[in-house]
Amino acid sequence: MTQTNRISGGLVDRSKTLNFTFNGKNLQGHPGDTLASALLANGQRMMGRSFKYHRPRGVLTAGSEEPNALVQLRAGAHQEPNTRATVAELFDGLAATSQNHRGSLETDLMEVTDLFSRFLSAGFYYKTFMWPKSFWEKVYEPIIRHSAGLGRLSGQEDPDIYDKGFLHCDLLVIGGGPAGLSAALTAGRSGARVILADEDFLFGGRLNAETFEVDAMPGSDWAERARAELTAMDNVRLMTRTTVYGAYDHGIYGALERMTDHLPTSSGKPRQILWRIYSKRAVLCAGATERPIAFGNNDRPGVMLAGAVRAYANRWAAAPGKRVAVFTNNDDGWRTASDLSRAGVTISAIIDSRDGEPRAQIPGATVAMGGRVMDTCGRKGIRSIKLVDGRTIDADCLAVSGGWNPNVHLTGHQRGRPAWREDLAAFVPGEDLPAGMAVAGAANGALTLAAALSEGRAASEKALNDLGISPNGGDMVKAEDEAADITAFWHVGESKARAWLDQQNDVTAKDVKLAHRESYRSVEHLKRYTTLGMATDQGKTANMLALAIMAECTGKTIPETGTTIFRPPYTPIAMGALAGRARGKDFRPYRLTPSHKWAEEQGAVFVTTGMWLRAQWFPRPDETHWRESVDREVAGTRGSVGVCDVTTLGKIDIQGRDAAEFLNKLYVNGFAKLAVGKVRYGLMLREDGMAMDDGTTARLGEHHFVMTTTTANAGPVFRHMEFCRQCLWPELDVNLISTTDGWAQFAVAGPNARKLLQKVVDPEHDITNEAFPFMACAELTICGGTKARLFRISFSGELAFEIAVPARYGDSLMRVLMAVGEEFDVVPYGTEALGVMRIEKGHAAGNELTGQTSAANLGMGRMVSKKKDCIGNTLSERPDLNRDDGLRLVGFKPVNRVETLTSGAHFIALGKSAVMDNDEGWMSSVTFSPELGHSIGIGFIKQGSERLGEVVRAVDLVRGKDIEVEIVSAHFIDPEGERLRV
Amino acid sequence: MSEYTLTAQPALGGYQETFEGVSLEEQTGLAIVSIATPIGGEDALVKALKDGYGAALPKTGEVSLSKDGQTRFLGMARDQMFAIFDHTEPDAVDIVGGKLKDVAYLTSQSDNWVGLRLSGSKSRDVLERICPLDLEPSRFAEGKVARTSMEHMGVIILPDGADSFLLITASSSAASFLHAVETSIQNVVG
Repeated sequence: MTQTNRISGGLVDRSKTLNFTFNGKNLQGHPGDTLASALLANGQRMMGRSFKYHRPRGVLTAGSEEPNALVQLRAGAHQEPNTRATVAELFDGLAATSQNHRGSLETDLMEVTDLFSRFLSAGFYYKTFMWPKSFWEKVYEPIIRHSAGLGRLSGQEDPDIYDKGFLHCDLLVIGGGPAGLSAALTAGRSGARVILADEDFLFGGRLNAETFEVDAMPGSDWAERARAELTAMDNVRLMTRTTVYGAYDHGIYGALERMTDHLPTSSGKPRQILWRIYSKRAVLCAGATERPIAFGNNDRPGVMLAGAVRAYANRWAAAPGKRVAVFTNNDDGWRTASDLSRAGVTISAIIDSRDGEPRAQIPGATVAMGGRVMDTCGRKGIRSIKLVDGRTIDADCLAVSGGWNPNVHLTGHQRGRPAWREDLAAFVPGEDLPAGMAVAGAANGALTLAAALSEGRAASEKALNDLGISPNGGDMVKAEDEAADITAFWHVGESKARAWLDQQNDVTAKDVKLAHRESYRSVEHLKRYTTLGMATDQGKTANMLALAIMAECTGKTIPETGTTIFRPPYTPIAMGALAGRARGKDFRPYRLTPSHKWAEEQGAVFVTTGMWLRAQWFPRPDETHWRESVDREVAGTRGSVGVCDVTTLGKIDIQGRDAAEFLNKLYVNGFAKLAVGKVRYGLMLREDGMAMDDGTTARLGEHHFVMTTTTANAGPVFRHMEFCRQCLWPELDVNLISTTDGWAQFAVAGPNARKLLQKVVDPEHDITNEAFPFMACAELTICGGTKARLFRISFSGELAFEIAVPARYGDSLMRVLMAVGEEFDVVPYGTEALGVMRIEKGHAAGNELTGQTSAANLGMGRMVSKKKDCIGNTLSERPDLNRDDGLRLVGFKPVNRVETLTSGAHFIALGKSAVMDNDEGWMSSVTFSPELGHSIGIGFIKQGSERLGEVVRAVDLVRGKDIEVEIVSAHFIDPEGERLRV
Repeated sequence: MSEYTLTAQPALGGYQETFEGVSLEEQTGLAIVSIATPIGGEDALVKALKDGYGAALPKTGEVSLSKDGQTRFLGMARDQMFAIFDHTEPDAVDIVGGKLKDVAYLTSQSDNWVGLRLSGSKSRDVLERICPLDLEPSRFAEGKVARTSMEHMGVIILPDGADSFLLITASSSAASFLHAVETSIQNVVG
């Protein structure tokens, strides 16, 4: 087959031939072709099978509204299903396959479903698969799932890359047809920053599909001249292959630019870019979409929209048929007949539903004014049409025009409703447009050329005036308005055969009537019951017909019936484009500790905490289980000394004359009298009295404090403090700044911690117990003069310090600590060992500070000072938070020491059933204690502190455990804190 | 005296690469000091800035330069600015403190941040993929500074030449940020 339907003219480049395949068949086309135009040029009318009934389908439209010609493009991992052939630009080597058939496209075994169509009407699956109930999961659902969908995903990871970006402009012009080009030229010549975006690969819109003249030259030439002029302007950005898919708040628009879809390969560059466009003003020039007329068997390949037939002939030099008939209710359909006739295609008939005189003389054509097409014949493509007057007319293509619908979609993205125009028999944009948006041209109901050009210019001038830019659009372009009369006509009532409204979802006029009989009145319900207007085309060619039929059924007008809500995206967007570059380990940012490189060298296993990657443990080659490593790290630390990178804890530098007072108001306990050179543990509450975060705060100077927060709450606590500073107590002289990343901080813990540190701290600084007792802090120097901060605080329960140096020295300090610690058998320890030791010591952490626990629950009720006020103080006094039988944090040991405790288990009294009414609390953290040699846990239980020694059950229904546990002090080791103070 | 001394490591190892139309370089010797204005202390700070640096107090979003051209003051917030200057040692607070005396609250921020200079004719095209701000030269030229977010990471951005931008971002996530910029370069250049 060699382009049997290629005719003369058009905007394809015949000097080059492109080879492509369709279902493995080798075909040729030219640059400028779409896949659909090339298939038509090759005489390929049938392009796919319909969704439900597997009926043969050909291309209906020439644009992004296409419901039928959905194909699978490319192969292997690059395979992409449900691509509209009408917008797939042809390239050399393109491989396309048709979809949704078992067997070949021509002989689809699933066509049998069409015979059962009377059982498969709207909502059939709600009615059909009701019994037997047991069949649903095992029989019906698998069958439905197998039948569902059109194309197939490759099942492999998408090998393409995608990107996102941000653009800014004074004026965004959406659509590059006559109105859009006119708007962009006006704004561009006036010096405004303009973005002109069009989904097509060629600017011009309908100018490329028609034979109109602008400024005494063919419209497509004028469009090309406009493009060239705009390209030369530095203040204009032209974006072809770019669909503005959504209108969002504050003049922000979403746009998808297809960068390499028209090329054989992406060559390592992004395939598509999702842009966020910040516009000061926007003009929507999205054009209009032609709609069909419903009649019997109007879905056969060869039945197409009249404007599309004209576009294929005029722009792509592809005749959709050899004998073309036209069925229209408006003047536009006649242009299809005259244009094709001029191009040498036989026009067999023109059927106009309106009475009156023929609108043109078409040689050889039968003219039926007041006529209607009732049915079509031809199994795999139309052969002839039947009129209601009984005549049969041969045609291998029927061009249908039911009028044009302005593309109002983006005007409704912020819930604006369109308004009805009786003279157009169509909805136009309503008054409630997104802020900053104007609409011009066919999208605004100006369906004729001169009106579109003029509206584009006027909308642009208005936007420029709003922005304080003087419009300087040059001379008005010269063009004429074409005839565009229409008399609304929606469907042929005489048709007995099924009349298709939504060809993508196989919804017929009967389905809409059935939905009405079954009491579906709202169009939103109609949509969901019948599936009308869903999927890739969102019913762009279907919705109006269905609304009209629904209106007839209900006896209401079309505007009274209303439309469904328009939502983004205007056309489909690949999930990959929405994800952009956020994939794999770069799905979100990660933060590295200063000792990360060193830890990697040690073979550390890392865990994500917040965004940080922290060393979880440091396995040695002979260790086969993580517990071995963790137990060794704990034993090494408690036995001698361990080092842990605790840089991730939030650090907030607090300075100001009122810094102490600020902290006093923030923490439940007092800080005003904290001496310089001392650290204090602090607990802060939320306004509602529940515990928010805890940590230590060191006083480095009279007006200078450094607070630490938990890793997870570093951001939220800082935000909370800024809120307090700026909004609650603006009169306080206090300033905050995060220094989390600025200081590398290491915990050095264990009986030999001091000895190790004495080897790095410069000798003029005395860190003996007497000079530097528990909870002391100092700014000092280490390793021969490097400034550092030393805090004597302990999370592990051992003699411990935290030493901080500017982050640039973090890696070096870790290596030095390991080197000087060799004589003490120093061990690095990770977050698991850290967790083990803090549970052994009974310290609360994230599992306990859940936002649902109070100071009293945590056993810190008495810390809430009543001598001063603080955030959350008043509401912490609520009676229910201070009940005698309230929850208290205590420790738990399994009665049978070999049992393993689980966090999340709930406490139930012995002999009681495990139901909510008997729930007494829950286990929040558990660990195996190397120190004690068995599993331990901490958790909250009613009156816990008064029940030490009592045995209850820890019931974990999720993991199927029911273990007897003894209530004990949460401080499993060194309850008096003697180790801390040596 | 410890037998060990500590060695400073730049957060990105002194990264420096040149691509077609753009180059990217870690600013290893960048000192940053936060200067917060005490309540009622603005006049004293204005005077100290003038006396110590010959510089004006920058408005938020603007940059003022010291008389010797060596120190830039970035207006970060209503009561906060950053002084940035080339200095390799971690004692930048002492240097600024020496010039401003006790009129403001100073905090070292040198190690909190990493500076990356992106320069070249394609620098705006590269940033377009990650930076939500309008970088058009007439709107955002030398003398301006902004805080924004790129790929979910906080960034301070200031133009420091016709086609050159200094990007200052948190040091802990600097590797992620570098990846973001490199990805943009890869996607845009060539």
